[in-house]
This record gives sequence, C-alpha cells and structure tokens, in this order.
Amino acid sequence: MWNTIFPYLLSGISVGGQYALIAIGYTMVYGILRLINFAHGDVFMVAGILMVYISASGVPLFISIPLVLILTSLIGYLIEHIAYKPLRQAPRMSVMISAIGVSYTLQNLVLYITGGLNQLYPTIPWISNSITVGSASTKIVTIFTPFLTILLVFALVQLINHTKIGMAMRAVSKDFETSQLMGININRVISVTFVIGSFLAGVGSLLYFTNYTTVIQTSGAMPGLKAFVAAVFGGIGSIPGAVIGAFIIGIAENIIKGLDIILFKAGLIAKPLGLATFSDAFTFALLIIILAVKPTGLFGEKTTDKV
Amino acid sequence: MSNTVKKKGLSREQVLSAIVVLAFYIAVFVAEQIVPSTSMLFTVLKKGATYALVAVSMNLLNGFTGIFSLGQAGFMLIGAYVYAIFTIPIAERASVYQYYNGGIVQVALPIFIAMILAGLVAAFFAFLIGLPVLRLKSDYLAVATLGFAEIIRAVFQWDKLGPVTNGSNMLRLFPTFNDFNIRNANGDVTIYLSTLVPMLIAGFCIALIILLINSTFGRALRAIKDDEIAAEAMGIHLASHKQLAFCISSFFTGIGGAMLAMYQTTVQAKSFTTAMTYEILLIVVIGGIGSVTGSCISSFLFVACSEWWLRFLDQKQMIGSFEVPLLRNGFRLVVFSLIIMIVVLFFRQGIMGTRELPDLFRRKRKKTGKEARA
Amino acid sequence: MSNTILRIDHLTMQFGGVVAVDNFSMHIDEGEIVALIGPNGAGKTTAFNAVTGVYVPTSGAIKLMGENITGKRPDQITKLGIARTFQNIRLFSSMTVFENVLTAHHLRRTSNVFTATLRLNAAEEHQMRADTDALLKKVDLYDLKDEIATSLPYGRQRLLEIVRALATKPKLLLLDEPAAGMNPQETDELGAFIRRIRDEFDLTIFIIEHHMNLVMEISDRIYVIEFGKQIAEGTPNEIQNNEAVIAAYLGGDDL
Repeated sequence: MWNTIFPYLLSGISVGGQYALIAIGYTMVYGILRLINFAHGDVFMVAGILMVYISASGVPLFISIPLVLILTSLIGYLIEHIAYKPLRQAPRMSVMISAIGVSYTLQNLVLYITGGLNQLYPTIPWISNSITVGSASTKIVTIFTPFLTILLVFALVQLINHTKIGMAMRAVSKDFETSQLMGININRVISVTFVIGSFLAGVGSLLYFTNYTTVIQTSGAMPGLKAFVAAVFGGIGSIPGAVIGAFIIGIAENIIKGLDIILFKAGLIAKPLGLATFSDAFTFALLIIILAVKPTGLFGEKTTDKV
Repeated sequence: MSNTVKKKGLSREQVLSAIVVLAFYIAVFVAEQIVPSTSMLFTVLKKGATYALVAVSMNLLNGFTGIFSLGQAGFMLIGAYVYAIFTIPIAERASVYQYYNGGIVQVALPIFIAMILAGLVAAFFAFLIGLPVLRLKSDYLAVATLGFAEIIRAVFQWDKLGPVTNGSNMLRLFPTFNDFNIRNANGDVTIYLSTLVPMLIAGFCIALIILLINSTFGRALRAIKDDEIAAEAMGIHLASHKQLAFCISSFFTGIGGAMLAMYQTTVQAKSFTTAMTYEILLIVVIGGIGSVTGSCISSFLFVACSEWWLRFLDQKQMIGSFEVPLLRNGFRLVVFSLIIMIVVLFFRQGIMGTRELPDLFRRKRKKTGKEARA
Repeated sequence: MSNTILRIDHLTMQFGGVVAVDNFSMHIDEGEIVALIGPNGAGKTTAFNAVTGVYVPTSGAIKLMGENITGKRPDQITKLGIARTFQNIRLFSSMTVFENVLTAHHLRRTSNVFTATLRLNAAEEHQMRADTDALLKKVDLYDLKDEIATSLPYGRQRLLEIVRALATKPKLLLLDEPAAGMNPQETDELGAFIRRIRDEFDLTIFIIEHHMNLVMEISDRIYVIEFGKQIAEGTPNEIQNNEAVIAAYLGGDDL
C-alpha cells in the first residue's frame, strides 16, 4: 500500500513546491493591489521559453540561469509598469481585464516566436539525474524542490520582516492610502513586489520544466491557475498560507492521478475508473468549496466593508 | 432608452434603429442568394452572430449586473453538447458513438427544441453553481467560475460518461446551419437561409435580453451593479436577482453554444478552453462594457479580423521581390493582442461606451445623461 | 396613547473585541422625529446598520410595530417598511434622477421576470413611472429628472437620496447625517423638508445628525450615546441642559 502511494506523494510534494513558488507571486500582488494577476502564470511560462532560447544560443548554465531569472524579474516589472500602473485609479474590473489582456498577449507572442511547437527544455545537470528513494525512482529535482522552496520562503519572510522595504510592503498591504500619506513610495513597493514574484516564478519554472521537459505557450495557464487556487486556499495575502495551500494541492492532485492504481492495488476497485481525468478538476472543486465555506482561506484576514 | 412616460409608440431614434437592423437583415438575405455560399462573408456572419449572442449574454452579467463571471466556455460547452447529443439522427448514432455501442441517448429532437433544451440545461447548471459562487466578491467569483468551466470540461471528457457524451471523442453528424437551406426534390438549394436563420436566432435572443435590460428587473440589476448596499436598501434581494441574471445569461450562452456546434459541425470538449472565454471577454471590452450594440458590432469585427481581413498577416507576403518582414504564422494574433491592450489601456470606453444604437441617432440637443457620461 | 413603531431592546453589536453598541434600548412612537446623537465613533451608524439589517446584532432584539425583525435581511426590512439614507451618499451612479427613484418601486412589483421582459406588465410599469413623476414634482426635482444623479450638486444628491427612500413607501425613515456637507441655507431648508415629508407621507423619522441647531429644531426626542452606551434621553430642552451630554461633547473634566 505505502509503496504504491509513495511515488505519488513524492511527486506531489515536488509539484507543490513549484506551485508554491508561483503562488507567492499571486498572494503578494493581491495583498498589495487587490489584483488577481492573471498574467503571472504566463510569466512563469515565458521564463521557461527564455531558458530554452538562451541555452540554445550556447551560453553556459552558470550564466543562463541567472540571466533567465534577471530577465523574468524584468518582465514582471515591465508588465506592472505598462499594463497596471496606468490603471491605478480605474475600477478593479478594468485592471483585471488588463491582466487577462497581458496573459493573452504573452501567450500569442510566444506562439508567434515558437511557431506553436513544444520546445524541449534544456537538461540542467545534477538536478535532472535520476535517483531512487524507497519505492520511487525519480529525478533529483523532485527531492530538491521542497528544500529550495522552504529556503526561499524563509529568505522572503526575513526580507519582509526585517528590511525597510519589507516593512513598507507590510504597511501598504495593510492600508494602501494611509501608507501613501505616510510618505511610502507606493510605486516602488509595487515594483519590488512584482520583481520578487516574477523572480520566484522564474525559479519555479526552472524546477517545473526540468521535471516536465517541454514548454509551449499554454504551459503557464494551468500551473498558474492552480497556484492561484493555492493562494486562495491558504488565505490570499498570506505567504505561509500560499505555501501550505500549494503543497496540499500538489499532493492531492498527484494522489488523484494515481488513485485508480492505488485503489486497484488495495483491492477496492476491480477495474480503473478513469479518475485521473479529475486531477485538474479537483483543484477547482476545492476552490469552490473553500470559497463557499471559508472565503478568507485558511489564514486569511476577515475584512468588513464600511457602510 | 427614454425616460419620459410615453403613452404608446416608439421614439424617432427607436424607429431609425429598427430600420437599420431590418435593412441589415434584408442585405444579408439578398447577399446570401447572390454571393457564392463559400464566401468568407458568410463564415464571418455565422460565427459573428454566435459570438454576438454569447458576448451580449456576458455583458448582461459583467456590464449590467456587475458580476464578473468567466464561466462562458463552460456554459457554451454544455449548450453545444446538449444540442449535439439530442439531435444526432438515430441512424447515425452507431457510427458516432462507435466506442460506446451507439450511446444510451436514443432520441433525436427537432433543432429548435434541442436549442432551447441546450439553454435550459446550461441555466440549470448555472443555478447549481450560482448557489455557492454568487456570494463571492468580484475577483473570487471570476476565478471560481473559471474553475467551474475547467471542471465541466474534464467531466464531459470522462470515459465513464462516454455513453452520453462520447468521452473525449468528437460528436458529429448533427444538423448544422446548412440544414436551414431550403432544397428542392433533387436536393439542390433553392433558397439559401444558412446565414439568415442563425442571425435571426441570435437577433431574437438579443432582443429578449434588451427587453429584459429595459424592464424593472433590468433596472434592479443595474442598481446592484452601481451599489449593492443601496440596492439592498431599496428592497432588492441581491441573491435572487444575481441568481436570476446568472441563469438567464447562462441560458443564452447555452443557446450560443448550440449555435457554435452548428457552425463548427463537430463538438469536442477539449476545444472549450479558457482562451475562448477570454476572447469573448475581450470582445465585450472592445465593444464597450455595458453596451449591447457595442458587443454585437465588436463580435462581427473580431470574427471578421481573425477569420478574414487579418489572415494575410499569417502568410508570407511579397511586394515585388521584397518579402515583408515579421509576417508568418501567429503574427495575426500578436497584432490582435496589441490592439486589445491599446483598447484596454487607452480607450477604456471601447467602441460604444455605454451607448446603444438609438443613442447614435439622437440629435445633439442639450447634454443628456448618457452623453454627459460618455 | 400613540403606537410604538420601532423598539430596540438591549442591542449589542460586537466586532471582534470592539463593542460598538453596548446594551442599547430605545423606542420611537408613530409620527415622532427622534434623533440619535453622540460624538464621532459613538456607534450611531452601527445602530442604524443593525436596525436596517446590514449587520446582524450580536444580541438584543429589534421590533417594527411589534414584529421581530432582528437578523432579517436589509431587503426584507425595507419591504416591511423601513427605508434609509446613507452617511456617504449611495446613489445609483449610472442612472438618471428619474431611474434612481423608479428603481425604488421595484419592490412592489407584481410582475415576474418573464412578464416584465415580454412587457405583459405594461400597466404596472406605466403606474410606476407615473408615481415617480408625481413624487419628483412634489419635491421639486422634476426639472432635473433626466440628469445623471451623481452630476447633481451635493445638496440635491442628499435630497434625492431621501426621495428615493420615500419611493419605497416606508413607515419609518432613517436619515444618516442628512445635513452633512450642506451650507446653512440648505440645512434650514432640509429641516423644513423633513417636517414636511413627515406630515405629507405619514412618516416616523429617526435621524442621526451632528448639526445641533437642526437636531434641536426638528426633534421631538433625542437619544445621546457615547462609546456605544446611552448617556441621556429626553426632549431637546432636557438634552441641552444635561451635564453628561455636555461633558461628552466638550471633553468632560473641565466643567
């Protein structure tokens, strides 16, 4: 029994870590701008495409990896600057539509550049190597991901709690207008938030695509949405919440992928039910349930509108 | 819409608008008899009519009720499947449902009955999903409805539902728009109606939506959009009115889905993606959030550009011996995206703002409300 | 003896650790104009919100003509006969003056969505529009009826909000700082207007207001609260001479 479940659990933890790195971007941006950055998943995808093209040009890894991360952060910064900043005073719906427009644009740009073909992701040595853990044979990246995720989250929490810009971020997410009056440079805080979010999505893409090996213009959509669900599940605006939500979703999704086999080996079903179809649907069912039962998520703060 | 208490009859602007719409329909009918039926014009009109209906339904939620729903693809999928499942001729079922012994549904309904059924089933799903989801704030609602569409897409492809949905296989051989053409005994077409009828169906549905918007219920929905708390204080029950708008919008989106099935001649769940919803949202935005006329105009424009006028961007073009740079597969969509971003960022009113067709005929007298706002 | 329209018994409203209204009781008799005053943050609007169903009371009971309305939804309470205005004006911003008032007739419709869409309710719709016209004429807003509501001058917007509330045909009207932002002349007119509508529409009026001249002039009785607790109740004369009230307003110890 355990031997059947273990490989799914392991890849669940790994994917969960990758979702977590994306989810932080969603949760931080929402915390500050109250905006669902629909383009965030596509930034993650673009990071994957950048890695493909930069590696193809023959640049060694120790240059290409930092370069990808820097460019991804820059893209995040530019998106905010071009598509969201001019709409600061506009209704929330307009900004959300702009985000959807950016998502559409990024996907179409990549479609144009790649010709809509699957791009083979370069092999990153060491983390692409195979390893056997207990009953599971997997890539090192699977084991490596959760540790790197926790490390990065720890660093991020230190940044938020102990630096000046971190304090500004906390202030802005608590009360946008008042922080502005207190002389905090809102635009700088927002830019930094986007840069951090995109940077983490870039790291996530290195891990994720090493595991999945190909990138296409739609690769960011599903992980992006799932990471968003993770952020909502954990309570949007809360970084630990997003991380825990992401791990829960990653694990649950992978268990469902293997549920037919697990149930079959446990003798509970006689033939496969095709439940793997629902591994994506499950995430959204979870979202709808959590929103109906506890809209603020696991760690979210309750807010009341003033009448 | 005019606020004065009119006894009976229509205003001058309304009469002019009616004439424009009628003239358009007559032009379509005439064109259909003259122009070869393979012309791109008809592709655009058929798909444009379908998208117009779905876009107006979405506008009813986003523009008039203030509910930011992104579940359109899901409701279209439901409509398309219900229509297809209930209209495939019984004789053809064995070949369509070849992996499921001809399927378990063994009825073939008339086209219009099946279309209404498509709308009703979509509305029923909207009712179920609306119960938990409509309580949410704008952006959570957007993601929850988006998620719902994804769930629907997965469920319809599930192998265990194959006897009904044909699993992940295609549904085909159901009646399409071409079945509206009138043929003589030899099977030759005598009167072409394959474009006019879908346009009439869409026009009829949109007319109903316009009547709804201008009724006391439409005012209540607009009140909710403007200020939920004030609307509630005016005795408007938020939950039931939102639920009503959601179900009605989904009903017409379901009919739009049935029309899409007829247009495409085949149906497969995997094609009803989030990108489809985004396209419709962008049509609504370009037309003007809160304008039915805008949604209609922008649907035809959008389809015409993507299927016809901007197709050349996807192919290599030579001017003499000079090859125009950048033009190759996918460039059309890049141009499209840029246009959309420009509209979203710099022309937030879209083509029409919140104006409607009759407003265009209104003489510039004093500044009335709508103009003051535009 | 006059009939009691509204009775609040031991109302407490608690948000997390904050007690906004603390064991507050009051009553309003038919035809009265009763004011609720107190320093900023005393819990006045919170009490209004509890009465109109925006908030569900933590404990206590609210009765409208003997019927318990505690915990009912705002739209249900409006249908039972309580209408209100808001401290920060909440007009329907995309609608004209006429449509704003017309929307308030929606709650008395007998049509359903089908009959309304297919215009089978033409007579009712016609009646709603005629009633709206009549009401606008009565309060001198008819000339502005096709203007977008939020484009009106501030004082007119406040007035329109009251008119819109009247269109729901309430028995009890709650006004939340109706004179806020008005100049002295507008405030005087408002006072006369409030008395006039009380008489013409057979209303009972419950008002929150900071404008003391207005409160003293129009109120039959006044309740004073501070930190969510009642500190005084009485006629304008009694309140003006009440030491607790003076202390609350001037900061206490110095007196």
